Amino acid sequence: MVMLRGFLVLVVFFLLGEAVRVFAGMPVSGGVLGMVMATVTLMVRGRVSTELATASQGLISILVLLITPGVVGVFFIADQFSGHWATVLVALVIGTLLSVFTTLLLMKKMAALGKEGGSHDRSA
Amino acid sequence: MTDQPEIVTSLMSVWTASPLLSVALTLGAFIVAQWLFVRFKRPLWMPPVMIAALLLAAVVALTGLGFERYEQGARWLTVLLGPATVALGIPLYQQMHHIRALWRPILVTLPLAATLAAAYALGIAWLMGATPEVLASLAPKSVTAPIAMGITEELGGSVSLTLGGLLITGVLASLFVDWCTRWLKITDDRVVGFALGLNGHAIGTARAFEISHTAGAFASLGMGLTGVFTALFLPLAFLLF
Repeated sequence: MVMLRGFLVLVVFFLLGEAVRVFAGMPVSGGVLGMVMATVTLMVRGRVSTELATASQGLISILVLLITPGVVGVFFIADQFSGHWATVLVALVIGTLLSVFTTLLLMKKMAALGKEGGSHDRSA
Repeated sequence: MTDQPEIVTSLMSVWTASPLLSVALTLGAFIVAQWLFVRFKRPLWMPPVMIAALLLAAVVALTGLGFERYEQGARWLTVLLGPATVALGIPLYQQMHHIRALWRPILVTLPLAATLAAAYALGIAWLMGATPEVLASLAPKSVTAPIAMGITEELGGSVSLTLGGLLITGVLASLFVDWCTRWLKITDDRVVGFALGLNGHAIGTARAFEISHTAGAFASLGMGLTGVFTALFLPLAFLLF
């Protein structure tokens, strides 16, 4: 029952997200809108119920299971994109290497600045 | 499969009449994949989702079940991706104190890095002459799967191509973060975790939890924030072009 109540909350937020998507005509999926609404609601309430935390942990732990059917499709669309695989691979390999490097460099610089900024604030 | 005995053919049609055969196959592949993954000492280049997908593809192709019929039954599982996406908001809320403590670097890095994660790959693919459908499928490559599938559908790409791209990106991000942190001499688990989640979504996050709990928490944070940011801005950016 505990799990079911939490699951109901998640499904209701998803349906609300779909409603916002349709009414506001936003090009964002209902799941994302529901997630944003759920996070904001929790921030306003200031706490999360055990049932909601349990249900969300349960669903997140089977995320891999839920995306597997879609990944299986990759092996059956190979022909459809046969001319594009080289492009896709080069874009992913170089793109990911560059973006990993940029993220790490940015975070390193910003975290160092943050520390200096903090000490300045205290000494001022 | 025309020379199958009649009894087998009728059993197949009874089994595939309900979605439960697809559900059982997917569950079975998931459990076997987890077991194999642990057995092979958690290789960075072969995450459980890849093992499970390979097993399922082999079964679907060899038994003559066919992807169409398998996918129809498996919709019973994929429909849960909606509420699962909502569920990602709960750990995001639970980690709010982490965001507050490091809000300045996160605020500066996130929009730039999340944009670049998509822009680098899109730029390269565009220069190499990719079609709009391929570009739309690659755009959410660093976003966690349930959100990415929503984005691709909105942009008119191929969900399967997106998932293939996600898988490759997640594996590459885990490897590249490993190399780059050594090269840049970064030892802060918060920075390593954040980079893993931001670039490598769920696969990077799983890797981060192997490094430390702090790295894992920051990876979920990076993954969640990148997902929300990209989901909100990418469709708008695509409308402009």
